[in-house]
Amino acid sequence: MMRRIWSICCSLKLAIVLTSMITGIAVIGSLVMHFNPQLFGGLNALSWHQWHNDYGSRAPLLSSWFYLTGFLLMLLAINTGCCFTEWLLRIRSSWRKTGEYLIHLGFILIIVAYFWGSFTGTRSEGERFNIGQTRAVAALPGHYLRLDAFEPVMNANGRPVDMKSSVSLLKGDRIVHSGFIHSNTPLIYNNLTIVPASYGQETIGYNILLTELNRTARIATGSTISLKDQIRLNILEFQSDAYRVGDQIIARGTDAINPAIFIRVSRNNESIWSGWLFLREPLPLLLQQAGFDFVVQSPILRFYSLLTLNTDPGMRLALIGSICMTIGVLFALFSFYYKRQRGDRPDIS
Amino acid sequence: MQILFLKTVFGFYLLSTSFYLWHAIRPKISIRRSAFALFLAAFVLQTLLLLFRWYTAGYLPVTNLFSTQFFFSWALALCYLYFELRYRIHATGLFVIFLTLLLLGSALPRNPSIPPLIPALDTVLFTLHVIFSFTGYAFFAMAFSVAVMFLIQKRLQTAILPDLALLRKINEEAVFLGFCLFTLCMVMGSIWAQIAWGYYFSWNIKSVWSSIVWLFYGGMCHAKFIRRWQGTGYAWLTIAGFGVVLFTYLGIGLLMQSNHPLE
Repeated sequence: MMRRIWSICCSLKLAIVLTSMITGIAVIGSLVMHFNPQLFGGLNALSWHQWHNDYGSRAPLLSSWFYLTGFLLMLLAINTGCCFTEWLLRIRSSWRKTGEYLIHLGFILIIVAYFWGSFTGTRSEGERFNIGQTRAVAALPGHYLRLDAFEPVMNANGRPVDMKSSVSLLKGDRIVHSGFIHSNTPLIYNNLTIVPASYGQETIGYNILLTELNRTARIATGSTISLKDQIRLNILEFQSDAYRVGDQIIARGTDAINPAIFIRVSRNNESIWSGWLFLREPLPLLLQQAGFDFVVQSPILRFYSLLTLNTDPGMRLALIGSICMTIGVLFALFSFYYKRQRGDRPDIS
Repeated sequence: MQILFLKTVFGFYLLSTSFYLWHAIRPKISIRRSAFALFLAAFVLQTLLLLFRWYTAGYLPVTNLFSTQFFFSWALALCYLYFELRYRIHATGLFVIFLTLLLLGSALPRNPSIPPLIPALDTVLFTLHVIFSFTGYAFFAMAFSVAVMFLIQKRLQTAILPDLALLRKINEEAVFLGFCLFTLCMVMGSIWAQIAWGYYFSWNIKSVWSSIVWLFYGGMCHAKFIRRWQGTGYAWLTIAGFGVVLFTYLGIGLLMQSNHPLE
């Protein structure tokens, strides 16, 4: 009985049936996937259990092909594993098929690695980092990522073609890894892969012309503007988009829609007023009298980097699988020509 | 200058095809030899042009439609040359030469200038991925050509075509070599995806169909061991497989949005 089950598990016909079924289902499924991006669009950005919870479980009919393909692939991997084991048991008599069976082994390892990584790995696409900002890496407890520098690379027409981020990965206060990230150059640490996703610019202030005083100044966090009558204006905080709720000022976003500044006004180093000022609203009389009447010359922009942080515990196993496949292909090609040269084609009945 | 060179290559391939067709109708050694000499001349010229473009660009130019058509046509010609030298298949691989002509002919009106390489494609993994992909496709095209000839030969039993045993052997060899090359293409593409996007398999229609192609031909490499699928069954499977390849290369590139656009 066990022998019979084993021979079914090792069956070549089973492999062909499973391959045909996977192929057929994937053909239909790929079209379902392509025409339902709202359902499958997040597959690359989420781990499988996240995707199942957020999308797959809500559309069981449309996503059924995905689960079925996964299940059949597992069966095919088991079938391939049994074939590989069977070959190992009689390797002395069939060592010439080493190449073919290395491809089998590579396939098994890649499938196992992919399922492992998809279930237990994490995906985090386009996390925003300002220059100098340090953020916790959710997938690696106790680890933090700091963006040390960022520089977009433009082509001759001024179109962005690459993004260079200098990052440091910290464990507590200690730097465990650092380097440059750009196209085809990720930062890899254990199971974590960090790649550039995109970048953007945010308004962090304005260059202004003080019309009455006829000189330029900066409105940005930390800047100071000297006005008439020994009045100084310290800008303690700049928000590019804020709104007022009662006495509270709430930051809304980074697009310069409704900019506001928190200022302290002092005369002879003595504070005389502080509070939030919305730049699109009329200015207080005190500031107007002190000569704070301005026109915006240009925004002050700062780059930020969007980074993708993925963890995949199966990544290295998949690489081993790929190496097995590559070596297997080379061996298989060699043995193919060797057998053909000898007129030895025993497998064809 | 390149266009003139390209037109010469196209002219030689066209003449070679005409001679092979002539040979198919009126078999004569001199005609066959002329056909092969013309083909060889065209292939050598095309290889020189490819090397020149590679050298001047500093990278394998396969980043726009003209370049991919040019490279794919070269891979098809290389594949034909391999089987011609190995098995003297002559007109059996005509479909592959027709494809070469079609690709070159449609590339002729396009601009042959080489665009600067964007950093995202500036990796040896991309070069290897493309080389293995197109050479793999070329062998699948050859398998298709031979499979069609197998079915014709089975019905007509003509002396013009090689015997069924040889056609079957060539078909299996083309599928096997195509599968090996396509496996390397998938491996290189996966490693490249990991370092470019942070994952080695992307859920988009191109990647899924590439996996389908790999699984299909992987299944075919097994199917040849099953008696029922040998010969005619295998020929039909090869034809179906090439349909999958065509959709993966052309259908998705032309009809759908993917991360492998044709233009």
